[in-house]
Amino acid sequence: MFKNRSLTFLAMSVLGVAIGTAIAGCGSSRDDGKRRIAVIPKGTTHDFWKSVKAGAEKAGEEFGVNIIWTGTADEQDKEKQVQLVDSLAGTVDGICLAPIDRTSLVRPVERAKKIGVPTVIFDSGLEDSEITVSYVATDNRKGGEMAGEYMAKLLGGKGSVVMLRYAAGSESTEQREAGFLAAIAKYPDIKILADDQRAGSNAQVALQKSSSMLQANRGRIDGVFTVCEPNNKGMLQALEDEKLAGEIMFVGFDSDPRFVDALREKKMHGIVLQDPFHMGYMAVKTMVEHLDGKEVEKVITTGEYLATPENMDEPRMKELLAPPKAE
Amino acid sequence: MNESRPETRSEYRGNLSGGSRALAENGHRTSGWQLLSTTLGPLLALCIVWLVFAFLDWTRPLGGTFAEVRSFQLIVVHTAAVAVPALGMTIIIIAGGIDLSVGAAMALAATVGAYGFLNGYPPAVAIGMCIATGLAAGVANGALISSLRVVPFIVTLGTMMVFQGVGRFLAGDTPIRPPRESFAVLDEFQAPFPTPAWQMFSPGVWVMLLLGILVSITLRYAVFGRHVFALGSNEATARLCGINVPLTRVAVYALGGLFAGIAGVYQFAALGEGNPMDGIGKELPIIAAVVVGGGSLSGGRGSVLGTLSGAAIMAVINHGCTTLNVGDMYQDILIGAIIIAAVALDQYRQRRMADK
Repeated sequence: MFKNRSLTFLAMSVLGVAIGTAIAGCGSSRDDGKRRIAVIPKGTTHDFWKSVKAGAEKAGEEFGVNIIWTGTADEQDKEKQVQLVDSLAGTVDGICLAPIDRTSLVRPVERAKKIGVPTVIFDSGLEDSEITVSYVATDNRKGGEMAGEYMAKLLGGKGSVVMLRYAAGSESTEQREAGFLAAIAKYPDIKILADDQRAGSNAQVALQKSSSMLQANRGRIDGVFTVCEPNNKGMLQALEDEKLAGEIMFVGFDSDPRFVDALREKKMHGIVLQDPFHMGYMAVKTMVEHLDGKEVEKVITTGEYLATPENMDEPRMKELLAPPKAE
Repeated sequence: MNESRPETRSEYRGNLSGGSRALAENGHRTSGWQLLSTTLGPLLALCIVWLVFAFLDWTRPLGGTFAEVRSFQLIVVHTAAVAVPALGMTIIIIAGGIDLSVGAAMALAATVGAYGFLNGYPPAVAIGMCIATGLAAGVANGALISSLRVVPFIVTLGTMMVFQGVGRFLAGDTPIRPPRESFAVLDEFQAPFPTPAWQMFSPGVWVMLLLGILVSITLRYAVFGRHVFALGSNEATARLCGINVPLTRVAVYALGGLFAGIAGVYQFAALGEGNPMDGIGKELPIIAAVVVGGGSLSGGRGSVLGTLSGAAIMAVINHGCTTLNVGDMYQDILIGAIIIAAVALDQYRQRRMADK
């Protein structure tokens, strides 16, 4: 009996191993003596990161480096991202990292530096900029301010607005929220009805929060602002469900094909755009320059733009609204 | 106690894993070799998984980094983060329970600990607060389950959300970030590469091993340990044997909470901040570690060595896949398959024993 059991166990192990081998076989990268640069996004599933990846890959081709694109699926699992940075540090020449959390990722970056692996931070800041090569990102505060100014213009300087927040602790979105509120604060006749709900990176949760907010302030809302892709999605859906799309001024941050349609149908009135492709490209380029021993800028902004129903067909806006994506 | 009750014999049939030696002797005859094989199964699987990754990495151009000491140090640190709360979960699962709130309790404990450090309390006090929070959460779970007579799955599903909400309330809905100097004692606690280098592993790993030995001894030799196995094997019989079932249950969940509290220290040490939201989804790998390690959700079986191996298997797969540059999704698929395979194997084993 023992023999049997042990055999079964062995068979199962071998099976697992075989699966592993098959997967590894098709997944491992070929090595050709080129530099290896790890690019770690906050998450792998959202469109934004796919554009970052396309930019990083373009830079990889241009400068002759291997890009190792790895990330956690979930944009909130910082523990896993910490482990990922630690795991990768031993096998690459440099790391480009979009930290999920500005505090928690400090120590793995420090550990990488200790063994001679430099880090370029992109998209979202890290608390300790002393230990990093450069920070490549959108000026998120400015983007938030642009949204606020534009919202004020849409409302003619008076009305009531609500803002849906992202998760606590994410530097980039906190900057957008702060920028928006600061811009709105300049208009005494615009009132913030609600700005205390956090929707996180899940569009489903964003939809629920948005619906509740719209319901709670029914008839009193003139404008809404959401700070990132999943939240735009949730809010747009909620506005459509409540038959309020088009009536309430809706400004979002980051694009997606659905939002382009919404902009055309005037269900959304403005989208603040970043340039994720350029961000991925610049992060890798900066890392390559650093590895080549060149001086690099400590902070590199990759631009922020406002798309409106009026300007959305201009070539540059078209490009930003539908940036190239990697598979 | 069990020796004197031959009528309960059939209930204990097949209790071979881990600390259930006395019960097994009471049941059907098993050779030491058999006992060894069931206990060492997960450990064997761990070795195989490790060897496979080491081999695949070695065949890769410029590979060989997986078999380095550095990789080993990383794997054990990643293991500790799951294994410590899983030790508590092992006790709970052996007792026939489940705790879905463990991730939330961990994060709540880490948040309270961070609050302590932020306010400049002495490190011992802040760490004590962290562990005490976990313990309190566990006592609450146990008391609710015992007094309301609601199944643990539901109670802990509820407390999971309660703990998370309480944490967010306490933290003012934002992560608590004490200045780094304030928690200097924990700075290296979960650092994969400790200084000085002779320590080999982070203090957290050594603490994990120590805790594992303590739990193992408790389960195997203490009267309480026997009660836990009896409770998980058959509650009615355990009651007839004179075991104070409600009290034992509270103690079991309290212990689970204690380990969640200690795990809170690990989480805080690893992340440098306390955030009640960091517990989301963490209960699943913890439960998986116990199950892969041979614990049975129907109670009565589970072992420390198995749980530690289970946690390590997942850490090896994660690090191995990262090293080989295999996507995140394949890691999920692989771990999921291993969980199912482990349980299927377990069921098969049990059936074989029942047939005999």
